[in-house]
Amino acid sequence: MTSIRCWTVMTLTAILFTGLLGLALAPAETCLSPFVKRLEKPEKYLYVFCVDADAKDNDFLAVIDVDAQSPKYGQILYQLDLGSAGNETHHFGFTDDRTHIWGCSLFSNRLFVINVADDPAKPKLVKAFDSSKETGLTGPHSPYALPGRMLISFLGGKDGGLPAGLAEFTNDGKLIRTWEMPHEAPYGYDVAINPDLNRMVTSSFTPPQNYRKPMAQMDLKQFGDKLLIWDFRGRKLLQTLTTAASPLECRWSLKKDAKHGYVNCALADSIWVWEGDAQNHYTARKLCDTGKLPVDLSQSPDGRFLFVSCFASDEVQQWDVSDLKNPKLFSTVKPGVEPNMLHLTGDGQRMYVTNSLLSTMDRSDDFWVRLIRVGPDGMKMDPKFNVDLTKFKTGPARGHDMLLY
Amino acid sequence: MSALALLTALLASVGETDNSRLAVIRTPADFTLTTQDGKPFRLSSLRGKVVLVSFVFTTCNGTCPATTHRMVLAQQALAKAGLLDKVHLVSITLDPARDKPAALREYMRLYDIDAKHWTFLTGSPQQIDKVLSEWGMWVRPTANGQLDHPSRVFLLDGRGRLREIYDLQFFRPRWVCEDVQLLLNDDASAKHR
Repeated sequence: MTSIRCWTVMTLTAILFTGLLGLALAPAETCLSPFVKRLEKPEKYLYVFCVDADAKDNDFLAVIDVDAQSPKYGQILYQLDLGSAGNETHHFGFTDDRTHIWGCSLFSNRLFVINVADDPAKPKLVKAFDSSKETGLTGPHSPYALPGRMLISFLGGKDGGLPAGLAEFTNDGKLIRTWEMPHEAPYGYDVAINPDLNRMVTSSFTPPQNYRKPMAQMDLKQFGDKLLIWDFRGRKLLQTLTTAASPLECRWSLKKDAKHGYVNCALADSIWVWEGDAQNHYTARKLCDTGKLPVDLSQSPDGRFLFVSCFASDEVQQWDVSDLKNPKLFSTVKPGVEPNMLHLTGDGQRMYVTNSLLSTMDRSDDFWVRLIRVGPDGMKMDPKFNVDLTKFKTGPARGHDMLLY
Repeated sequence: MSALALLTALLASVGETDNSRLAVIRTPADFTLTTQDGKPFRLSSLRGKVVLVSFVFTTCNGTCPATTHRMVLAQQALAKAGLLDKVHLVSITLDPARDKPAALREYMRLYDIDAKHWTFLTGSPQQIDKVLSEWGMWVRPTANGQLDHPSRVFLLDGRGRLREIYDLQFFRPRWVCEDVQLLLNDDASAKHR
């Protein structure tokens, strides 16, 4: 009797588990860590990490109503004051359980831990701390969820120089460990993990000593051109690949059983692909030429399309990468001046766009959040969604990264 | 170099926790809860063993059956690798109001779980809340009467230190065996130092 019952329970569990895995494998918004809990309903709130444009007032998180049924659709509902100015608030990341956002700031080295689960319409600042004190690293850039932890990539080391590094924290902000990039490839930028392949990829930008200068004064020789392939579980460097200058956002392909991924090389106006063979050995090559200064990269949930924002040519391009040997430009939109961060919904149909890169690199003071509709025929701007970020009581704000709830 | 010296050197080389690929994440506070048999159980009574800890509730129709199923598979893999006697599994209820010891016993019976290597725990709501908070876990009621919660499995070394946290989707029996072996090596090395 016991064995029959056990067999039945195990069979039912296996069936249920298969179903659950099917759900789980559907990605959260396509550029988030695979460990982040999926948003199981249409988005209601868009969080935008905002830099006070003249750096005199406190930076903040803006909450925008993106519930299509709401009478306040497209309006700013709330501003969470981050309590300090001049941070250059930049990239966002959810914890694995989607209860907290970690925000990184490139000038102050502060990390902000923000509770969004208790009241998603009014997030609360839980903790803000200078990450350089404990880690010895500077320029925290990409917060990336691990189970119960956050992995942060840093752009610099001591005093804003090199080598850059990585650090792991508990979800409540206690440092677990740090490690530096290798001296032969000392730059840092993004991080992307493929748990099934047990591989992690990191990319290269430039350290704080360089990016804090006005763009005209930046030393272009101080930008990296390496992609690093790591044994994820071992946190061990395996390979160093060379791309063109400044490979930024790393995206593992979402195609089933794919062993490749993509990165936009900002200073070489191109997208590159890294590809693994049967032995999990990787090579990198140029995939396609893009518009000018490609700064963000997103991917459709089925892995067929890449979306790339071209900061200097004021366009967003959609590339069909079904055939890696013959990528095709599928559609293009012009959202406005200097489009930057892209945030695609889990269903692949709505892509939010902001237009600030860095206060040292922006060439416009017209800041906004806009919406691209993605359909079978390609991308189209939604003329009804246009959030003005220039009319705050404190003046204009530079909107950068976004997350949905 | 003698075989014994070589073995000692090898163990020492992998036994430095600071350099281990499984860093010490934190050391959870000890707790005493109640087993499926109604007896008190201290987490620290498992010192010397590697411990896998999950959080589930018996009436869950979401991820908990998958968590328990994966724990069963991990246990089978550990047994096959000859490691099971050095490992103990612990499942702590997320729903102490409904999961009394009798409910835990019935759940174990349904999954054919042997209490020798796997203990289910309950307690008062206050006790469970304290443990959840300590482990970075949480639980929220949902509209359909279920409970929303993270689905993580925790790995403790023989000194009660948290060394890995698994996401259910990527909780692979082979990886668990590798990690358990690594922690056993670390513990053996620590004893030699």
